[in-house]
Amino acid sequence: MAGIKNRNVTRRTLLKIGGAISAAPFVGFPAPGVLAQGQTKSPTKVLDFMTNADVAKAEQEGQLVFYCHENEPGTAGIVEGFHKDFPKINTSYVRAQTGALYNKILSERSAGRFDVDVIQLSDLAPAVDFQKKGGYEQYVSPESPAYKAEHLSSPVGSFFWTGVDPAGIAYNKAKVTPSEAPKTWQDILNPRWKGVISCKISASGLQFVQWYALRKLYGPGFWKEFAKQNPHAFDSRVQLFDRLAKGDDKITAIGEYPAYILFKEKGANVEFVAPPDGLVATPLIVGAVSKAPHPEAAKLFVDWAMSKRGQAWYQTNPNLYYGSVRTDAPPMPTGVRLSEFKLLYPADWDDYANQRDVFSKEWNGMLGL
Amino acid sequence: MTVSTVESARTWFSAQKIAGYGVAAVAAVFVLYPVYFLLQAAFDVGDPQVRPPTAYGLDNFSGLFQFPQILLNTLNVSLAATVMALVFGFVMAWILARTNVPGRRLFEQLMAVPYYLTPLLGALAWSLLGSPESGFINQIWRALGGHDHLIDINTGYGIAWVMALFEGSVAFVMIAAVMKSMDPSLEEASQVIGASRLRTMLRITLPLVVPGVLGAAIFVFAEMLGSFAVALVLGLPNRYYVVTTAIYQLVQQYPPKIQTAAAMGVSLFAVMFVMLFLYRRIVMAGSYVTITGKAFRPRVADVGPLRYVLLGVCVFYVFVAVALPLATLLYASVQKIAVAFPTAGNWTLDNFRTAMSMNAVRSALGNSLLLGFGTATIGVVLMGLLAWLIYRSRLPASGVMEYVVMFPQAVPRLVFAFGMMWAWVVFPIPIYGTLWLLLIAYITVFLPLGVRTIAGVMLQIDKSLEECAQMCGASWAFRVRTVTVPLLVPGLVAAWLLLFIASVRELGASILLMGPHSKVITPSIVESWFGTSSELTATLALIQTLVVAIAMIVLVAVTRRVGAQPVD
Repeated sequence: MAGIKNRNVTRRTLLKIGGAISAAPFVGFPAPGVLAQGQTKSPTKVLDFMTNADVAKAEQEGQLVFYCHENEPGTAGIVEGFHKDFPKINTSYVRAQTGALYNKILSERSAGRFDVDVIQLSDLAPAVDFQKKGGYEQYVSPESPAYKAEHLSSPVGSFFWTGVDPAGIAYNKAKVTPSEAPKTWQDILNPRWKGVISCKISASGLQFVQWYALRKLYGPGFWKEFAKQNPHAFDSRVQLFDRLAKGDDKITAIGEYPAYILFKEKGANVEFVAPPDGLVATPLIVGAVSKAPHPEAAKLFVDWAMSKRGQAWYQTNPNLYYGSVRTDAPPMPTGVRLSEFKLLYPADWDDYANQRDVFSKEWNGMLGL
Repeated sequence: MTVSTVESARTWFSAQKIAGYGVAAVAAVFVLYPVYFLLQAAFDVGDPQVRPPTAYGLDNFSGLFQFPQILLNTLNVSLAATVMALVFGFVMAWILARTNVPGRRLFEQLMAVPYYLTPLLGALAWSLLGSPESGFINQIWRALGGHDHLIDINTGYGIAWVMALFEGSVAFVMIAAVMKSMDPSLEEASQVIGASRLRTMLRITLPLVVPGVLGAAIFVFAEMLGSFAVALVLGLPNRYYVVTTAIYQLVQQYPPKIQTAAAMGVSLFAVMFVMLFLYRRIVMAGSYVTITGKAFRPRVADVGPLRYVLLGVCVFYVFVAVALPLATLLYASVQKIAVAFPTAGNWTLDNFRTAMSMNAVRSALGNSLLLGFGTATIGVVLMGLLAWLIYRSRLPASGVMEYVVMFPQAVPRLVFAFGMMWAWVVFPIPIYGTLWLLLIAYITVFLPLGVRTIAGVMLQIDKSLEECAQMCGASWAFRVRTVTVPLLVPGLVAAWLLLFIASVRELGASILLMGPHSKVITPSIVESWFGTSSELTATLALIQTLVVAIAMIVLVAVTRRVGAQPVD
């Protein structure tokens, strides 16, 4: 079982971060003007958070282009929160699943197009790849100390975890009694769920994490057995719960907690199960993009998203309900703190990233693609 | 410089030639430039991350045999949908063109409505109606004591049914045109010598319209092969992939399987090209013995009391293709979770509030209308000139231009969009991600539609009118302005409206080419279907339909007023 180590932000951690920042120009990163500015210029307070961005300049830029894996209302919700706080900065966005979005930004950059300021992905593997390609702007936010080192890029400054999306099993209470409902991850392999179970498509970052984590726990045969269930696969968590609420599927093998909260509020007859081995979880990765057309707005957005204010927005917006990894984050709308869940992350992120092709092939094959 | 040299240069640089070659060059660049990139990707067997390709080969095509089920599904759905669309189209065309069914004119107008509503709207509505568990029809069925489900729309035949309902109107238009040009004396002669109505229809009417029906069959089959929206909405829940939806899925994942997708696209294009080549051969063969020098007036047959049964058939078609889908979407849009028997607490207007707060409605709808206006206006000028160049000018290579212009008809729009994405992302002028790219895309993919519509009218105008003006010493530009264009006005107005509607409802090309500042409505509805609830998606589809309907009413009123102006 893979868990995350509970490390506090210590003086040593901060020194490590500082060391990494200083070393950055010597390990292949482009000499970041922004970084230099971050070191020399003291942060300023705007609203109730700290920023190294020049707010007046950001407002003069007047625009922020955001690429996001989140569904349409979720993406609209994120930029709406920022725009409310900074009404002089207009926002626009493109949303697509992480795979498609990453492909899009790579194609654009290979053709010399730099149209995006900030990108949010639901999978650490492409984020690390993007970092290696020099895709992120090196910007160390003054809000960084509120995050544990494992929730920041290494070296710090490329991206951070703006939230976590945990998933367990969910079922329709009208179709499945609590005694029949699956209790463990292995229970989703019960033949009674054949043809009435759902999952996500291979473009989903969370689905990749689930495949990796449960494969590590239960061996490669787990997903081969799962393939016999003829699962229905969908793009987003809302589609999964939409079908679950209507009884099109009786259970979902990847019931995301934020969608569960949303549908409970809508009055859907659904229930959430947290298997004892833990909830699979994917980080939601935000970073400012290098050569951004609106660099100050991009930095301001990163600071806003990292701040208590931004995190509260992410955590309480009905179309997001992300669990915050900020060390001082309040509980989620259900009253539960993210730290109260046992979360399953890949223990070795490099090995995880290397398994992407294996996953895509197996998952696509299972879905008939 | 001698006088003869000046004359020769004047001939060479005449306005006619400059306009002709200029327009031809623009059209050729629009069409062939993206196709080059598409072919490049299909034959690229090197590192997919490296462009331009490092190695070429046929591996991507041989790899397609790993997807036999997808190829089989595509064939099954296309064949089934074509057969159904032809049955709908033939029956409706026969009823409305050849019988005295009540309300013929009204139903003829209503037959065009499914085309305006779009297959996407139909798919969303039928998904709510016919899903095995939550479909309204199946819920009612179980409430009445039935077991399991009555219909399952998430199957190949379900997909074919919805595609046929909405392509049925295209088949209707094509078959009705043939039926209307048929001399009724042939049928009358059959009945005079004692044949029953059914026997007359089977032995006289049917054989006479066979070439037209065959042409329609091939055209509709080619359309079905490239169909995307219905298979996406109804096929995905049951893992039922056709080539277009498989292509979409392959390029959406990480790492994207672009080379495989491109090879699939090129293969589909090859099949569609053969189909459309056959269609053109059948149409050009002109074996219609129904159009003769003998004057006749199309006359309808008195079918007696049977006309009320036929009226029922018409009402049923309009009900399942228009009224039922719209009513279903409206019903779903005012519920929190769409069910057949909602409780009092389930009713809500929140979906409309959310929809109005989303980019999809705020800016996408405006962009769509703007693009529709731009595509129609620029398209009519460009396509009018192209139609003139191909069918009226004596410029060399006009025959080749016809093939170039009709090329996009053979390429599924989703596939064409790949080529466009790669082509325009490397283009030195920064139009990628802007509305300009969508404008170019729309003009390109709708070239066949616009040119064919305008050519249809242009070919009816006697050349001698232009020649007469020429004899009187009018220049080419003056002749076009004072003779050709005024005579073409009805055709140009029809083409304008067609292009406007086609642009506003466009999905296949737009879904890959939208940028953060160039969102358009139909792909936004699909995105909403992917990422939000079916109730919100139903709301968006309704809003789109309403706005387009209002725009159409205004535009038709304006064009009627313009059309009523006397021509000098």
